[in-house]
Amino acid sequence: MPVNRIRNLIPGFLSVAAVCLALALGQLVVAQDAVETTAEEQFFVDQIQPLLKRHCYECHSHDAGEFGGGLSLDSKSGWQKGGDHGAAVVPEKPDDSLLIKAVRRESEDLQMPPDERLPKKSVALLVEWIEQGAVDPRKPVTQSEPTSDPLDWWSLRPLPAATVAADIGDFGYIADHGAKTADLDRAPHRQSPQASIDFFVDRQLKRAELTPILPADRRTLIRRAYFDLHGLPPTPDEVDAFENDDSPDAWGKLVDRLLASPLYGERWARHWLDTVHFADTHGCEHDVFRPNAWRYRDYVIDSFNRDTSWPRFIREQLAADHFFPEESHLIAALGFIAAGPLELSRASTAPVTFDYLDRDDMVTQTMAAFASSTANCARCHDHKFDPITQEDYYSLQAVFAGIGKGDVEFDADPAIASQRRHYTALIDQANRGQFDSSLSDEVASIASGWEDLASKHPAVWTTLRPSAFVSSDGATLKRLEDDSLLASGHRPDTDTYTISAPLPLTKLSAVRLEVLPDESLPFKGPGRCDNGNLHLNEVEIYLNDSESRRLKIRGAVADWDQAGWTIAHSLDSDVKTAWGIYPKVGEAHHAVFEFEAAATLKSDSQITVVLKQLHGGSHLIGRCRLYVTDADGAAAKVVPQAVAAALRVSKPERTAEQQAAVISFAVKSVAEQKLAELPALSSVYAASKFYSRSAKLAQPMTPNVVHVLHRGSIDKPGAVAGPGSLSVITALPGRFAVSDAADEMLRRAALAEWLAAPENPLTWRSVVNRVWAYHFGRGICDTPNDFGRMGGTPSHPELLDWLAVWFRDDAKGSVKELHRLILMSQTYQRKSGLHGESEAGAADKARNVDPNNRLLWRMQRRSLDAESFRDALLQISGRIDLAMYGPGIQQFTQSKGAQATPKLDYDAFDWKSAAAARRSIYRVVWRGIADPFMESLDFPDLGLLTPQRGNSVSALQALTTFNNDFVLHHSEVLADKLTSEYPKVDEQIRQACRLIYLREPTANERQLLAEYANTHGLAATCRILFNSNEFLFVN
Amino acid sequence: MQQPRRQFLWNIGGGFGGLAAAQMLDQDAVSADNIRPNPEFNGGLHHPAKVKRVIQLFMTGGASPMDTFDYKPELERLHGQKLGPAEKPEGFTAPAGAIMKSPFAFKQHGECGQWVSSVFPHQAEVVDDMAFLMAMQSKTNVHGPATYMMNSGFLLPGFPSMGAWISYGLGNLTDNLPTFVVLPDAKGLPYNQKGPFSSGFLPAVHQGTVIRTDGDQPVRDLFADPKHAFASRAADAQGFDLLNKLNSEHAAMNPDDTRLEARIRSYELAAKMQLSAPEAFDVAKETAETHKAYGTDNPVTEDFARRCLLARRLVERGTRFVQVWSGPQGATGNWDNHGSIPNELPPIAASVDQPIAALLRDLKARGLFEDTLLIWTTEFGRTPFAQGGDGRDHNGGSFVTWLAGAGIKAGTSYGQSDDWGYKAAEGKTYCYDFHATVLHLLGIDHKRLTFRQSGIDRRLTDVHGHVVKEILT
Repeated sequence: MPVNRIRNLIPGFLSVAAVCLALALGQLVVAQDAVETTAEEQFFVDQIQPLLKRHCYECHSHDAGEFGGGLSLDSKSGWQKGGDHGAAVVPEKPDDSLLIKAVRRESEDLQMPPDERLPKKSVALLVEWIEQGAVDPRKPVTQSEPTSDPLDWWSLRPLPAATVAADIGDFGYIADHGAKTADLDRAPHRQSPQASIDFFVDRQLKRAELTPILPADRRTLIRRAYFDLHGLPPTPDEVDAFENDDSPDAWGKLVDRLLASPLYGERWARHWLDTVHFADTHGCEHDVFRPNAWRYRDYVIDSFNRDTSWPRFIREQLAADHFFPEESHLIAALGFIAAGPLELSRASTAPVTFDYLDRDDMVTQTMAAFASSTANCARCHDHKFDPITQEDYYSLQAVFAGIGKGDVEFDADPAIASQRRHYTALIDQANRGQFDSSLSDEVASIASGWEDLASKHPAVWTTLRPSAFVSSDGATLKRLEDDSLLASGHRPDTDTYTISAPLPLTKLSAVRLEVLPDESLPFKGPGRCDNGNLHLNEVEIYLNDSESRRLKIRGAVADWDQAGWTIAHSLDSDVKTAWGIYPKVGEAHHAVFEFEAAATLKSDSQITVVLKQLHGGSHLIGRCRLYVTDADGAAAKVVPQAVAAALRVSKPERTAEQQAAVISFAVKSVAEQKLAELPALSSVYAASKFYSRSAKLAQPMTPNVVHVLHRGSIDKPGAVAGPGSLSVITALPGRFAVSDAADEMLRRAALAEWLAAPENPLTWRSVVNRVWAYHFGRGICDTPNDFGRMGGTPSHPELLDWLAVWFRDDAKGSVKELHRLILMSQTYQRKSGLHGESEAGAADKARNVDPNNRLLWRMQRRSLDAESFRDALLQISGRIDLAMYGPGIQQFTQSKGAQATPKLDYDAFDWKSAAAARRSIYRVVWRGIADPFMESLDFPDLGLLTPQRGNSVSALQALTTFNNDFVLHHSEVLADKLTSEYPKVDEQIRQACRLIYLREPTANERQLLAEYANTHGLAATCRILFNSNEFLFVN
Repeated sequence: MQQPRRQFLWNIGGGFGGLAAAQMLDQDAVSADNIRPNPEFNGGLHHPAKVKRVIQLFMTGGASPMDTFDYKPELERLHGQKLGPAEKPEGFTAPAGAIMKSPFAFKQHGECGQWVSSVFPHQAEVVDDMAFLMAMQSKTNVHGPATYMMNSGFLLPGFPSMGAWISYGLGNLTDNLPTFVVLPDAKGLPYNQKGPFSSGFLPAVHQGTVIRTDGDQPVRDLFADPKHAFASRAADAQGFDLLNKLNSEHAAMNPDDTRLEARIRSYELAAKMQLSAPEAFDVAKETAETHKAYGTDNPVTEDFARRCLLARRLVERGTRFVQVWSGPQGATGNWDNHGSIPNELPPIAASVDQPIAALLRDLKARGLFEDTLLIWTTEFGRTPFAQGGDGRDHNGGSFVTWLAGAGIKAGTSYGQSDDWGYKAAEGKTYCYDFHATVLHLLGIDHKRLTFRQSGIDRRLTDVHGHVVKEILT
């Protein structure tokens, strides 16, 4: 996009302050003119200005950042200059004034305000004002022409070219800050990368003439690191071991060990799931469960544990199908795009709105999570503060215009996926009859193998002699001499035949149904319908001996299918579809139903075949006969007539056509069987071109056309937007040139490339800041999802840039390397508390100069988040179940709700059940009906992105941690454990403190706690310890 | 963190509401100016407050305006004619049927002459206390988004509801009760489940506390479940004491952190709430006459009446904002009368009519109208066209809200729908104007109550909103 355009976007482009000034201006004018105003001026201020503000400013003012039709009405010069049609007001001539014409709605083309007719009284006031000369005392709103480059903003500036090997001077800060040579000697690359964090932090402290606080003790450090990296406390033994480890790299070893543990991925996945507002249900009006959403959660856990590099993490989540087609398991990553809510009701009743808002959610999430950009603010108008146009925004929407949300199938094992692709391709080839003279070894061997089998072991079909046979709707079934059944008498609309027969075999692999012509039937049948047809909707086959079980049918083949009424329909559990034989009436047809596994038969085994014929119009079977076989699958298949004819000719004498028919059939049969033998597909709730508005499509959708919507309204579509992203970043293409506009995958891939590009200034700053924020409780920029002009500015800009470049170039996007770097810094290892610091000392000064610790002179104390609190209780009470992965745990009971949303009861959940002990990350999160316990501890509302959690303190929260069943139950579990291990109360108390506080109790604590325990029991004492600040906060 | 003791006390003593509390807790609270409830403003933030507490009655499903308060004689003339849009508009569940007149008789009531249909005989008697917004408009015809709009000002989930904003801006009036209380229909939650009472991106402390009127513990976890015998009341009392000792010692070792002090104080408040809440929720303490007036003795009105009565008890004792819902989400038992206006509207209307009139009279009689606002609203209106035989479809085009109480110009009405009641014609108001007006009454300038979230100074009223001065005194 042209840079000029960006410059001209808005007056407030320069800074937030400028906008605030503009906002305040309107009020200031009123105030200052109150001193000596004429009656006309007063009339304007009292009557006209409020009217303009109320009805016009929304689209015609600096305040709104919008000048519809080029017109602004917030200053005299605005209406004098006018818009596209010329001056809006001609003083003294209301009838000639466009403003009046517009509010009178004189012409079709110019009717203002657009949505609502102005009251007659207001129109009259405007007329009066113009008649009196249109006095307007407002001062001109000066639209300050931004002179600055739109890229001149900390987050948009290109990253410095330097790597760790380059001179720190390349960062350009030395000159700016007049650093001395001594500083250069301490430059990070001259020491180790770890030292660079401290270099930048200490330099800023030094400039503020502050000294950092002392390092924390070992016990504090290990507790901090465990909660930080695992979301769990260490055990007392682990604390002891660390405290007693004299080796110089004790801390480094600990950090490495924590990062290598799978508990790390479970902790950090939760941060990402907050960021992308992932939940297990739709949310909104119909808050429906997504049974397969958890696979995305598992993907995120696994990705953090594997330390997937950040650019790859981006590519996987936006377009794994494009970048890694061989790695089928990565389809789970596409759950990212579908992580947010879905308004099911809007999807059905307001589809156009739905499409725009559903994509809005995807755009908002993607740009916030990866680029810390609030591109979504440009939905209704160009971004008011950042150089993002509406066109940019709708280009981002166009990236997601070819997908919807739903369950997407994939192979969890790429090797299986490869086999599936292979056999599917073979079937495809066979269907197209594409086997000519040059056969691959595989095809040749399949074909000859199949033919051998078919000739050596032809399926022997044994006729069944039905012992019982009934029509559900009153037809007469009669067994004929040849063991076939003939229907006669009453001809109902629909019917179901249930036929039982003894089995004369020891093994059963397939059943064959023959439908036969008969003179008594219309057109000789084989159906009873007036045209001789039949429709077989569903087939069920049961085996009865000592017990009865339904046999699983792998598939069916018929010698002939009516168009649109294939034999597969008899197995699809859809009673609206069926197998038919029309127009080939008056002749015999047959179908073979093959079982998934051959059944071993006993002497008394009986078979029951249920033939459901529910289509109506008497599409019923007139005469039929059943056979069974024990032959292997491929051989038992029905051979189509053409293939059968070919098989009767010896191989050398077949025509090329005959041979091709045999090969195609052989390959298809074998490949189908192989496919059926593969493990079942997995599903993930994700994005796919096979879904639109959450409905599954038979054919992939064509990408929707996305319009730039004026004021975000679907009633005001503007130009068509193609796929793209922010055009302000000139180092990267703002609009994507995709080779095939119909291939939506290319659009997502292009956005992934845009985000993952080394030149993208936002991505690298975004991720290092996000990781930093979770370690320090606050980002270097304290708005992790917004690096725009409304966001925060970095406290340590050089450090942020250095980290971004180091992460990109040296760490190669490894998040674990970033953690290591941060944890190894002295900055991370400082104390949080002031205890022990001398009153007049450095800390005292720091806390006066920098009370909010923006300069990081100490560590930030943090409270336990909901998951850490909960998981810690599970661990300390000794019952945590560290099993990883799998479907979510529902920690509530469900009952039917009024509509699609069920009623959940969290109180009815049994905390004694095994499912209670899993880590919190595996809980099913019902988006609209969150767990009240977790909610009270600031588990976020996942309707929106949560870059950082809230930090509530309230009486209701205190009541929750004090009285909630979960806390009380686990207080009891811990007490029981301690009581069984230690007979004396004093020792029980000591051990409780060791587990919960990770230290020995003081003499005073020992006494207080023992007194309480003696009166109210140990469980009550554990409850108090779980509620104490020492446990709830991490120093 | 150095902080004047006095401010700290407001933070804590004020029940942890408020902008300043958020700052203390190191939130990203950025308001236009660092302000807090001002005694000179009668507890308002930016100007004198007329209202200190609010009861909002929310009719789930979309209460039909042209069958309740918005009399449309033109529908009688055009009854049966197919004049609606040919194409199904966005958000309608079915194509528009023929014009349908209201099956109910309308009469003018009170000195103000407000038209009210026969479904609301009790409210008709008190129209002179109400001010009507006759032409409210929604941006959607879909329940979920519309319910969000009327509560949070946004079509999408995740935004704080009005009650949460008020809690954030003003804090509490008492330590003894939650600030923002929600009383859902006994039959179930409204559209979007707990979404309409969410604190969104505001700290969780501001979310609506859902009160269970069916069990014996109205406030969740107020007391331990009796199955945990060790958590007895005696253990509670001494436990709070022990906890205080442990925490004080810990605070001494970790000086200068207001969050630690706040948490200590939160347990003191919890103990106070345990003492006061049970009494507040005990409607049995009301007189027989009161029960009769509200209709708790009648199975038709019993559920809504009990919750109206509870709402009054709560605001009386200092709860800031109470929301009473009529109807759960779903196809029945609410105001979503697609099937039949003559069959479905009268029963749901009857279930609320007497309790509402009683609540209004009761508030007045007790002098609570001095500083209490009572609101009746819904998420959208219904079509002037028939759906099926004699139902009506969703219509965001025009609907009615009324307000009564402190600061309200009683007996007025503002705005007017078109001749069919299909679209707002004059004096159109959106949720933004409605919310701006409520905040205004509470002494809050809706443009200055903000919270910085992902790059935007978020407001309840987004970038819109005008105070509807026409209905204010």
